[in-house]
Amino acid sequence: MIRADGLAKQFEGARARGAAPAIVHAVRGVSFTAQDGRVTGLLGPNGAGKTTTLRMISTLVAPSAGTASVDGRDVQADAIGARARLGMLSDARGLYARLTARENIAYYGELRGMPAAAIRDSVARLTEWLDLAAILDRRTDGFSQGERMKVAIARILVHDPPNVVLDEPTNGLDVMTTRNLREVIRKLRDEGKCVLFSSHVMQEVSALCDEILIIARGVVVAHGRAEELLATSGRDTLEEAFVALTGAAEGA
Amino acid sequence: MSARALVVFRKELKDAIRDRRTALMIFIASVLLGPVTLVLVAQYVSGLEEKAKVLKVRLSGRDHAPALVNFLQRNDVEIEEAPANYETRVREGKLDAVIVIPPDFQDRYLAGDNAKVEIIYDDSRTEATVATRQAERLVRAFNQETGMLRLVARGVSPQLVQPLKVEHVNTATPRQRGALLLFIIPMFAVLSPLLGGMTVAIDATAGERERGSLEPLLTNPVPVEHFVLGKWLSSWTFAIGVSVLTLGGFVLAGALYADRKLAAFFSFGLPELALFSALIVPLAAMTSALQMLICTYGRSYREAQTYVSYLTTAVSFVPAIVIFSGMHDATWQLAVSVLGQQMVFSRIVRGDTLSAPDWAVPSAVAIVVAALAILALTRLLRQERIVFGRS
Repeated sequence: MIRADGLAKQFEGARARGAAPAIVHAVRGVSFTAQDGRVTGLLGPNGAGKTTTLRMISTLVAPSAGTASVDGRDVQADAIGARARLGMLSDARGLYARLTARENIAYYGELRGMPAAAIRDSVARLTEWLDLAAILDRRTDGFSQGERMKVAIARILVHDPPNVVLDEPTNGLDVMTTRNLREVIRKLRDEGKCVLFSSHVMQEVSALCDEILIIARGVVVAHGRAEELLATSGRDTLEEAFVALTGAAEGA
Repeated sequence: MSARALVVFRKELKDAIRDRRTALMIFIASVLLGPVTLVLVAQYVSGLEEKAKVLKVRLSGRDHAPALVNFLQRNDVEIEEAPANYETRVREGKLDAVIVIPPDFQDRYLAGDNAKVEIIYDDSRTEATVATRQAERLVRAFNQETGMLRLVARGVSPQLVQPLKVEHVNTATPRQRGALLLFIIPMFAVLSPLLGGMTVAIDATAGERERGSLEPLLTNPVPVEHFVLGKWLSSWTFAIGVSVLTLGGFVLAGALYADRKLAAFFSFGLPELALFSALIVPLAAMTSALQMLICTYGRSYREAQTYVSYLTTAVSFVPAIVIFSGMHDATWQLAVSVLGQQMVFSRIVRGDTLSAPDWAVPSAVAIVVAALAILALTRLLRQERIVFGRS
């Protein structure tokens, strides 16, 4: 379970000569709870603060205000504990080009202290899930974007984390890989994991999510299941609802 | 030593060795560097000796000076007629030195009226020095002999005009003469850890940033210092490996020359290699840590390469400063990194005995600097602008 409570983050923006630095409020107070066994989607336009929110949950960015926890482990006070319960597919998903796909995945398993046998079993399971057999023992140099993404996902799932955070996982993927990824997300949910993912693609969120958080200008403007969002906004389609809800925030 | 740091260490080593082209280039270059350098130096030295051994002068206008020619012939000096365009040829470096005798030489000589000769040479070419000095010495000897004969003819004792008798006693042992040439080995000893640790240092820091693999790496439940430790250890290992290979090349080359007269110049064997290595291990710890620290500021491999080259340049200035400033050994130098090592390396090559501080002081300083750099690097990798700032 992932909880966020009043998360906020501000940066010092670029400053003009002599002027005081501009303060950029990337996230202004985001609270939510992502439950186990459910898929929670973070939906919002570009620059809404989705990535920054997820980075705070991944413990790599310190919140300016508010707290977050992963299975009760505070991301600041017990960062290592929180990371241990988390598999995070970040915005950056670079692989080691001179290592094979298997070695890339195994490296993360070793970093998490898994014994060799456990890593082998886990790689075998993920190979089936993500259809990796053909590329498993090839060096990742020259992989297509879809192949790279699959390896990046496999390596954050190698330790079978109870919480999975995916930042825009379908960005730049073709239809087949996207479908494959959706299946994986459903499987993770069915195993009782807490899945939190961000996207700016409406269909994806509506097709997958049990709970949707609409985020705009650094705040959660609406949350609930798809039907609830329709009811709140008084619109017929999720897209209309999204435009109405985020538009209200943008105009504010 | 933590198990996680070992995992990082093993991965970085594997990754670096997989980079076949770079790894091979560095290793082959470092193994060959020693022998190639020694062959060149040996050739240069034997060339100098050759020139000095055969007494040979080039004369222009030998017919004008039968007395001088007679003197030279009596001293077994080979005389060669200089070509007409000797000035140009000296300037081009094809002739070392030419003694020019003017047509009125014999008349003035017989009249006891300051006869004149000219020695033509090019000051800017070091290899001409031997021939030039030789020509000058021969002309002086002729001067002296003639002068003495004239004094004797007038009943004056030659001792009167020679109150001092100068004899040369050279205290330099062959080993010390070798050290003059072997400033090269200390220089390579100081520079090779930089060459060896560089690739891993760049790839493990700026390389991770450029690939976008740093952020996911840091989401693993491993404290930053373990990553730093593992990466630093692998860079350090490469630095030591390349340094020992480079110096091993010199040992090998020295052994190949062992049965020659030149062996005297290359008294760099396994005991010296062991002493050098004892100093290089802590030195490499420092250079690798510093390289990683400055590379972390680089957003790309190329940017980091530029930063590293600044460090390499700064370090390579040290031997140059020592040589050109004529700096004398002083105890305070031990406390200055690189300068201290350079000084102790030179002492080892000269065959001086070392005291405990000679090893301990530079090494302790290097270890302290390494530790500080590692601390700074750990703090740097916690900063959001480094983790997320990509090119």
